[in-house]
Amino acid sequence: MGANRENGLTDRLTSGADILINWARKYSLWPMFFGLSCCFVEEATALTARYDMARFGAEVLRPSPRQADLLIVSGTVFKKIAPVVLRLYEQMTEPKWVISMGSCSNSGGMYDVYSVVQGVDQILPVDVYIPGCPPRPEAVLQSIVLLQDKIVAEERPTRSIFHLKGGSQGSQDPILIDGQTKARDSRGPGMEGSAIRGTSALPPGFSDNRADLMWTPPPRRIELGEESKSVAKVLHELFGDDVQQTEYTSDMPTFQVEGHRVKDVLRHLKTEATPRFQRLEDLTAIDESARRKRQEYPDYTLIYHLLSFEPASRLRLKVALNGEHPVTSSVTEIWPSANWYEREVFDMFGVRFEGHPNLRRILMPHDWIGHPLRKSHPGRATEMDPYGLEDAKKHQPLDGGVYVTRGGKENELVLNMGPHHVSTHGLIRFIVGLNGEEITALEMDIGYHHRAAEKIGERQTWHQFIPYTDRVDYLAGAANNLPYVLAVETLADIRVPERAQFIRVMLSELFRLSNHLVFFATIAHDVGAMTPNFYTFREREIILDIVENITGGRLHPSWFRLGGVAADLPEGWKEPVDDFVRIFPDRLKEYEALITKNPIFKARTQGIGRISLEEAIDWGISGPNLRACGLGWDLRKKFPYSGYDNFDFEIPTATEGDCYARYLIRVEEMRQSLRIIEQAAERMPSGRYVTDDYRYVIPERGDMLKDIESLIHHFVNVTRGPKIPRGEAYVSCEIPRGEQGYYVVSDGLGYSYRTRIRAPGFPNVQVMPLMAVGETIADLIAIVGSLDYILPDIDR
Amino acid sequence: MQPILSASTLSPWEPGIFALVVYGLMVMGLVALLLFFASWLGEKKSNPEKLRPYESGVIPTGSARLRYPVPFYMVAIFFLIFDVEAAYIFAWAVSYDGLGWAGWLQISFFIFVLILGLVYIWKKGGLEWGPTAKTD
Repeated sequence: MGANRENGLTDRLTSGADILINWARKYSLWPMFFGLSCCFVEEATALTARYDMARFGAEVLRPSPRQADLLIVSGTVFKKIAPVVLRLYEQMTEPKWVISMGSCSNSGGMYDVYSVVQGVDQILPVDVYIPGCPPRPEAVLQSIVLLQDKIVAEERPTRSIFHLKGGSQGSQDPILIDGQTKARDSRGPGMEGSAIRGTSALPPGFSDNRADLMWTPPPRRIELGEESKSVAKVLHELFGDDVQQTEYTSDMPTFQVEGHRVKDVLRHLKTEATPRFQRLEDLTAIDESARRKRQEYPDYTLIYHLLSFEPASRLRLKVALNGEHPVTSSVTEIWPSANWYEREVFDMFGVRFEGHPNLRRILMPHDWIGHPLRKSHPGRATEMDPYGLEDAKKHQPLDGGVYVTRGGKENELVLNMGPHHVSTHGLIRFIVGLNGEEITALEMDIGYHHRAAEKIGERQTWHQFIPYTDRVDYLAGAANNLPYVLAVETLADIRVPERAQFIRVMLSELFRLSNHLVFFATIAHDVGAMTPNFYTFREREIILDIVENITGGRLHPSWFRLGGVAADLPEGWKEPVDDFVRIFPDRLKEYEALITKNPIFKARTQGIGRISLEEAIDWGISGPNLRACGLGWDLRKKFPYSGYDNFDFEIPTATEGDCYARYLIRVEEMRQSLRIIEQAAERMPSGRYVTDDYRYVIPERGDMLKDIESLIHHFVNVTRGPKIPRGEAYVSCEIPRGEQGYYVVSDGLGYSYRTRIRAPGFPNVQVMPLMAVGETIADLIAIVGSLDYILPDIDR
Repeated sequence: MQPILSASTLSPWEPGIFALVVYGLMVMGLVALLLFFASWLGEKKSNPEKLRPYESGVIPTGSARLRYPVPFYMVAIFFLIFDVEAAYIFAWAVSYDGLGWAGWLQISFFIFVLILGLVYIWKKGGLEWGPTAKTD
């Protein structure tokens, strides 16, 4: 009787205290400054003026887990980063909570692919899930409110605090285990007997493949110009039958080169040929083992894409390789930039390069088994064993000492900056050798954001792949779609109506502006100026409103289609664009007044991270970073695509090649983009938004509902995907960060045989040691900010 | 010297040793209580990961106990030294008319010695701080 009364009193006391403690806790959550991918952009947007997360008592993101009690897992959880996520969670203060933001983090989302964990709840307890891809900032706010409600409703912290039995605080949810408490199976319960949707049409079986029954015209064929013919002639004279020109191509002159001569041919093309092919645009490979006509192909093909600046032209070399583990010679002596490209080919295909200084894995974890882009490697994560807590504990990233050695100097420090760091702008790991504050060595470990977009291209139909292109550079939205759709359109010779071209240009430029606004905010923030953030995100919201009005999406509209765009411009699209064009120049002046002549900003950026034009060309740097070195090279002018030659705009250049020059270029580019947007809106032609040749494209909805021909095309192209003629095409576009190219190879099926993404960030980041060694660690942050790279584009 | 009166020494209300002792004990008691609450009430779930130094989410490389060059620390110390010495100059400046030429000579000598020190530091490279590799 007495004990009961005592218990009753304790209960009353603790439940009173619970109310007080929970009330205090729910309004003082401390989220960690932790982002994995696209979702984090929306999470960060939730902090800015329009959404103002501070209203909910969770305003300041803490950079260290020691100061944080809320982990918002925003984005894709990669197998390479999962051990880091787990460690950060363990290092957070108690009690702690976890919000899983976005489809990828919830379940793997659209990335059912070998490098992605199918749900963060397999390694961490999760309190609240936010659906969406990516969820809007409002959804982040709602998740905070839901978490607050959960804290109040479920937690009894007083008993835990006073070490009494029966209390609870922080996450109590269990970690889920595949097959027991969750199912990764995309087919749903009871459907284990059936094949995963779409896989039966894929190699090795092709049993459901219907493309063979369909007829298409041949791929596009180009007439080669005089220069290409003279290059071919000289190559033939010098190398005889070791270099064979391919008869028909869709995009650029193509040569088949014998493996033992490739180095000589490349050296000739770079240093002696006219024109000189000064840039190694891209180097990749194709695993030919799943071709429909297997006997016509070698085991592997190496592809070199070269670029000449004067005159602007491209050239492709192909090298046939045979055997299970083929070997070829490295071209790192000719182009230093080949270093990472060859490592990537080795990592993805298992092709060895003799004479490479450092041939080891680059994208995949060091202990990965197999080479993912081989056709024999599983594509889906759900085909592989589930990734659980034990894996996250076991597969640790390599020690920094493997990358940077101290070399016996006892006062040198090896410091890891990243993969989780506020200033790395994503999941990249800089391993820095430091003597005091001076950088003596710098190495990068990438691949923490490898989303396997290229492998996905081999299983999604030509149309289905478009949403994946949006996410390759998640700040450039629709601008990402363009090189992909152009590459397929080039291959299949699809003509795009003028109105669609204008819409594409307008959206691409809107995204260039929105991207540069984020750049402006982040570089200012990196060197210590917080204010511009709140200004530029205000205008960025206006741009995203326009984008949303037209496309219905914010970050990832997936708006371009083969042959046009997804729908016509909506009624009333022009007024917001006009309003924006009217107000933006003054706003831009406002930002510049804050930063451009700011002595602190200049001191932090002028003369820092300098790179010469020769080095920039040799290393394959592109975009504003190249133009900051003094070369007026912009694909919109040099290879005019999508009707860019109809617009009047200038290409800003600078000569210093330092961080400040890179900043100035982008500010000026905002003005030029605005001019293009203004002209596009002003002169928007009338007409169709998608081509009327429906062989490969998704027909206009009205037509689909009216005539049977269009309905059939709609049905086929949406479900199985259009059959694109056998061939290949490479198209590169000037997206905000530089030149993004898509190399698509078709084997005459409804999906690509190989999709290769030439990303601007990959070479731009590879060159960083040249810029940063000899500077201080603080300058590294300025360099990172000024290069404006983005991780999904480096790691793809 | 004032004679110490026993009555007010032990009075808690008037300034004296007893009041100081009481105050000191109270402060120590409060600090002890706060420390006790902080350690007793806080939830502790220690594991090897939690105790590991935080270095951007990966396991740190090598030891942090090394001879780390700290030029900025030297600059900070120099600033502190000269700053404190400036306090003497302020003291002189406040009453310079009362101290006359003798005071002026003394402070001039003092400043001269300071300048000598600065020149010495400068010559020795004590103010050099920044990356060495910059050539341009």
